[in-house]
Parts: sequence; C-alpha cells; structure tokens
Amino acid sequence: MQELGMRYRARWIYTTFIMTAVFLCSSYKPLPVYEPEPILPEFILNIPSYKFIEPDFNDYSDPVITCDSASSTIQFSRAGNLILLRAKADTTEGYFILDTGAPYLILNMTYFRGYPGNPTAEGSEGGITGSVSSATPTRVKELTMGGFHYHGVEADRINLGHIEDSKGVKILGLFGMQLFKRFEMIIDYENNLIHLHLIQKKEARVYKSEMLRDATAYNTFPIQIKDNKLLLNAIIGGKTLSFVIDTGAESNIIDSRLPNKVFNNITINRRVVLAGNGQRKVEALYGDMSDFKIGDVSITKLPFLVTNLEEMCTAYNVSCLDGMLGFDFLSLHKIGFNFVTRKMYIWK
Amino acid sequence: MRWTRYNLIRRLLNLGLVFALLLYASPKVMAQPPVQSYKVKDGKMFIVLDRRLDDAALDVFIAKYDLYDLPLKEIMKGKLIDSLLRMGWYIEKGDPELLVISKRLESSGKVNNAADKIIFSDKNRSIAERFPSVSKDVKYGYNRFRNKYSFAVKDSMVTFFLRNNQNAWKVMLAGSFNEWQPDVLAMTKTDSGWIARVKLGPGKYWYKFIIDGRWTTDRDNLLEENDGLGNMNSVYYKTNWLFTLKLGGKETKAYVSGSFNNWEPRELPMTWNNNQWVLPVYLLEGTHTYRFVADGNWFVDPSNPDRFPNEFNEYNSVIRIGSPFLFRLNGYENAKKVILSGSFNGWKEYELFMRKANGGWELPYTLGPGNYEYKFIVDGKSSADPTNPEFRGIKGHSGNSFFTIGANYTFRLKGYANAKSVFLAGDFNNWSPNTFAMKKDGNDWILKVHLFSGKHLYKFVVDGNWVIDPSNKDWEQNEHENGNSVLWYGKIPEPD
Repeated sequence: MQELGMRYRARWIYTTFIMTAVFLCSSYKPLPVYEPEPILPEFILNIPSYKFIEPDFNDYSDPVITCDSASSTIQFSRAGNLILLRAKADTTEGYFILDTGAPYLILNMTYFRGYPGNPTAEGSEGGITGSVSSATPTRVKELTMGGFHYHGVEADRINLGHIEDSKGVKILGLFGMQLFKRFEMIIDYENNLIHLHLIQKKEARVYKSEMLRDATAYNTFPIQIKDNKLLLNAIIGGKTLSFVIDTGAESNIIDSRLPNKVFNNITINRRVVLAGNGQRKVEALYGDMSDFKIGDVSITKLPFLVTNLEEMCTAYNVSCLDGMLGFDFLSLHKIGFNFVTRKMYIWK
Repeated sequence: MRWTRYNLIRRLLNLGLVFALLLYASPKVMAQPPVQSYKVKDGKMFIVLDRRLDDAALDVFIAKYDLYDLPLKEIMKGKLIDSLLRMGWYIEKGDPELLVISKRLESSGKVNNAADKIIFSDKNRSIAERFPSVSKDVKYGYNRFRNKYSFAVKDSMVTFFLRNNQNAWKVMLAGSFNEWQPDVLAMTKTDSGWIARVKLGPGKYWYKFIIDGRWTTDRDNLLEENDGLGNMNSVYYKTNWLFTLKLGGKETKAYVSGSFNNWEPRELPMTWNNNQWVLPVYLLEGTHTYRFVADGNWFVDPSNPDRFPNEFNEYNSVIRIGSPFLFRLNGYENAKKVILSGSFNGWKEYELFMRKANGGWELPYTLGPGNYEYKFIVDGKSSADPTNPEFRGIKGHSGNSFFTIGANYTFRLKGYANAKSVFLAGDFNNWSPNTFAMKKDGNDWILKVHLFSGKHLYKFVVDGNWVIDPSNKDWEQNEHENGNSVLWYGKIPEPD
C-alpha cells in the first residue's frame, strides 16, 4: 500500500515537473481539433482531423516534447545512406537511425535489456526474422536529440545487431515517425543537415521555415500520415499508387503485384537472390522507372527494387501500400516535410 | 520556270525510287536482332530469349542479370528442364523460336520489420568498410600505370601525379585516404602536369582527380575498381616489398607466384629494368612464400637464402614482414625432426621444420597481430607446446596451443570460482570451444587476446556449458536463441 502511495507521489511530482517544463518552454501537447487547410479534394476525404489518435492503434500515446529552442539545425552522420542522429535515451548516448518507415521509437535490445518490460520474451523473436509484434515494449523517461526533449516515450525493443554488423557502427535504435509528427523537417543530404522546427500550437496553420520563403524555389505536394506511416501518392503508367516515405530504406521498393501498366515503364537491370523465410530462395529485381510522377512533376529515371509486398497488406491493416520511397528518391533534391499541415516540399 | 518544274519532277522521281528501294530493303535492313529481355508482368518475371542467340550473347545476358544459377545454355538446347522447374520456373508455350520462362516473384517477408527492412533495402556499406587501406582480405597488390611511372615515393610520402591538363583551372585529389572529401587536397601545377603529396602507410588506396569540378579516374592507371555504386575509382597500392630477379636476360617473361596469390602462375608479371626483373608489391604483414616463373620454369629466388620446403620436395622462398615470433620446444634432443604446424600456415605439416638450438628446437616465424593456434609434430607425433602451459591438465582441451600477438584486451569472467575449466570463444577465434583456455585470477578467470577495432561477439565455455558474460549487460540474440555477449573494442568506428 505504502509502495503504491509512493508511486503515485512520484508520478505526481513527475507530472508537475513536466507540466512546468511544458509551460516554460511554451511547447504544447497534442492539439484539440484542427482542420487542415483545403488541399485537394481527394485528400480531404482521406485525411482525418489533425488530432488523429487511432483508438485501436496499440497504446503508444505521443510523448510530450519540450525544447531548448523551437528550431534546430542538426549535422548528421551517415551509415551508408542512412541518417544517424546523435541522441541520449535516459543515460545511454549514441547514434539512432532516422527511420520514418518505423512507426515509433525502436531501441536496440542489446543496450536496453535492463529496461522494464519483459526482456526474456525476446527468445520468441527468432533471430533476425522476428517481427515487430513479438518485440518487447518499454518506456524511455527522457529522450534528447538536438535540443529537443521527449518525455515518456513508449518504445519497442528488438535486436538490431545485424544492422550494426552490416554498417560497422553501434546503433542504439531507430527514430520512428511518431517522434516527428509535430515538426517541420527539411533534409539536406548534400550537406548532411537536418533542419527541425517544433511547430507551436499558435503557428500550426501558418508556420513555414525561412528556407521556404521563396515559393518559386520548390514544389509543394500533399502527404498523409496513417498509423504513423508517411504516405505520398505518385503516378506510374497512369496508375495512382501509394508510397511510404522511408528514410530507413536505401532503395526505393515497389510491389511486383501491381498492374502491368506500371511495369511497362521499368527497365530491369539486375536480379538479386535473397534468402526468404526458411529454405526458400526469393528473387527481387533492380530496375529504372522511366515514368514516375508526383503531381505535375516527372522524374524520368528513378531506380526501384521490385519485390512482392503482399506482407505489407496485413501489417498496415489499412489497405495495401504499393511501395516505399527511400534514399534514392529523397536524395534527388533538398526535401522538406511539414507533418502538421501534411505537406512535402521538393526543391527544384 | 520550266527548269524548276522539271527539277521538281526529277526530285519526286528520285524520292519515289529511294522509297521503293527502302521498301524492298526494309526486311533486310530492319531485321530484328535476336530477342533477349527480362521483364515484370502479372506479378511474375519473364525471361525471353531468341533460340538463335549464340553462347557469347547468352554469356553477356547471364552476367548482366546475374543468372549463373540458371542452366540457361542447356535449357536453350532443351536439356535440364527438370532442374529449372524445381527452381520454381515455368516454361511458357508459344513461339517455338523463343524460349520464354517465368517465375512468380515471391514475398521475401523482410519488409514489415523495421530492422529487416533496413537490411533488405541496403545497397552500400560505409566508406571506411568499402575502402580499408589494410584488411585481411587484401593480401597483395601491385600498380599498373601506362604513359607515366608509378607515383614517386619518398619515405612514406607519395606524390600523386596527373599528366598534362595544363589548361585546367583547379585540380583536386580525393580518395579513401581523405574520406573522398573533394575540397581538401589541392594539386599543384608543374610543367608536365599536377602533383599532390600524401603520406600513406603500406596498403590499398582508391582515388580520383577532380579537374575543374569534374571527377575523373586516373587515365594513366590501369587499375580501376567499381565501388559497387556504379562509380569507377583508380586504385593505388603503397608498396612495401620489391621482388628482384637477376637472370641471363634471355628470358622473355618472368612472373612472381606465391602463397599470397594462391600460386597463380601468370598473374604478377615482372618488368625488365636496369638489367634485372623487378616487381614492387604491397604484401599484408606476416609470412609469405613464393617462387619465380620465367618462360614456364619455376624456381626459388636465387638471391634469397630464406626458404621453406614445399610439397614437391623442393623449396619456396620466404618473405617475412613484421616482427618475428620465436617458437621454441625445449628438450627432445634425440628427435629426428620437429615440425611446426598452425592456423597461420593452413596446418601444413611439411613446411615449417624447426632447428635444433640451445637444448631444444626453435623457429622464428613472422606474424601480424592476431590470435593463433599451433602444435608441434615430433617425429610424426603431434603434441601441444609444453612451455605454453595454460591448458595442461584441462579436460576437453583440443590439444592445440595458442598465443596472441598484440594482445590488447583482457576478458574476465566473474562468478565461476569453482569451475574446473573455462574457455573463451568468439568471432576472434572462429568460436573454437576448446582452445582459448582462461587462467584463474583470484576468483575470476582471465585471458588476454588481440581484438580488431569494432564489434565482437563472444561467450565463455564453463565446464562444457556455453554461458554469456554475466558482467556484460550487452548481449544479442543468436541463431540458437541463447545469446552472445557484445563488445565494441577500441575506438568505436565513427559513421561516415
């Protein structure tokens, strides 16, 4: 009983601290109802209100964010073409991969084994083919990255050892989409810079980085966020397809089961044989897509990895996604996102 | 006027003639080249090949799409159809002049999990990984230039040289030695080209020139390598060994062949220079054996007295790079021959004959930093090294001795004070469970080994049971689902 009382007291103190911090830093908690500005009719149908909390989407509530300054420019390092952000999760400091394809914070089990949760259940993960569903959830009290402080971050833990082995870099975890939902983020691969701005409540509708002042320098495209996935519509061979924008993928990936019209525009140039689940060998093909459009903008040659993505249908439980746009797409130009107003900016 | 009309008619006639000719010739002129395509349709991949394709064209196709596992040449001749079907391919019926095979693209099951997806979509490794100047995988190398001599080297300073380009405004040098930074190493103009000096240790380096902002390989360097991303880079070896051979001068060709290049006879050509055959090379630290091949004849290096016997009852010449380690076996003064055999020479039992010295047997042998296993063979009978006593009396020991050169890390196991034997196993000793015996140190067990910088996985084998390190909280899951301890040694590699 006494212990329970202690815990409540601790929580009360914690909450008070957080509330004060929030007040002081004039950050904000999830907004109440927010109507997005009208973009295109089809997206109005698709975009739920800003405060979209899917009640059935596990129980990862968004963390509270405080900041030293609302805007921050971060010099990032790379492992191959993956963006590495230096961050501190409670007392553990090191590199995390910026992975907009991951839904939320994912920690490397190796370095967060002692965290509350159920670490022994990892056995069911079955080595490197484990799925997120068998990962073990935990909670980071404070996650600090580039002057931003996340308080009470729900996280999954999985074994990221094979990424370390492949990249030769110690990886503490993955920064998933949930951590950036309140931000404007501009990625400059050429200079290894990320510009982040924590969008405040009162500027939610209107905020735009200084870098976006000259509207003729870039194109604007609507994006969607569903289940912490960042989605973009693109047109290939006259078909509108839905892609996940994924900074954690180096190649662009497209589903081989799409209509033939889509693949009339691809030139296959390499085959790769992968180990599938079990003994089975599975092929995937690299090719160049010659007719890729977002809005009115065409990309005449975009490399894709063609593979069967039927597994994505069940996992995203919305509808099947048609592919992913990774580094090969994101690095073409300077690129920015406003995750609050759901816009993507691509510099010309 | 009339002239103009006449001219027009003539032109029309001409045009008609040309058109008629074209029509007549078109089936010949426009004959299709044999079909060969790789396409995606209906969720399947299709390979379409004209049966008239010759083997050479097929080879090109196979190489382009990496189809070496498919017996395409046989299948074109109607053979090995069964094996194709077993691999999940299907032979489409239709045009008899075409071979059309298809296979459904299956799901890899690697995209849903964030971690698996990162690996699945991975194409590249980091710069440091892709361009290591010294690595266990690069045992040797030599430079091949045309139109100019290899770069001048003084002490460890290499003078990179770009010929001509006198009209260039600015030339930069970028390479693996400066992390490919384009704006760090400016080259200086000379009367014959551009130069830049770089201090390099022996090893393999990749570079490019940036001439007025344009990246280009060294056109005078015949060694180029694709970086796996489609970029070609020039390759330069900072050499650390010079082979020289003085013969009559009547030979037309001379080569070096050795343990470092798997004894390929005609891979490393020597050049005739100052009345002798020469070849400067880069060799990885350690002990290497070699012979010369001149006009088809193999022989040892006449000017090198350092020799090991080989399997043909002849000799190989020996190169030692690095500091020697003295193997010594005390006693056995009445033995006829004592042979050293170890992981460092592929456990060969005819190569390393020890010499009688100071009341025992000795052999100096040069090895780079690492962890090594060995044994002595005394008159045909294998025995471990009695002066290397760590394992003596330990149950379950493999019987091979081991030692470490350049020990830089001490493993310590706590909490097993009553264990009878403890072995250390990890990626650094091929997970050998019964060689690296640990020593008792108070209540702990300890062992010093050499570790390369980076990530290591290890476990302890305590009285035959594999256990992870109880005092290291970092461990990751393995294929047996019982975990391996994780250790990052040295300067943790910084990302690019």
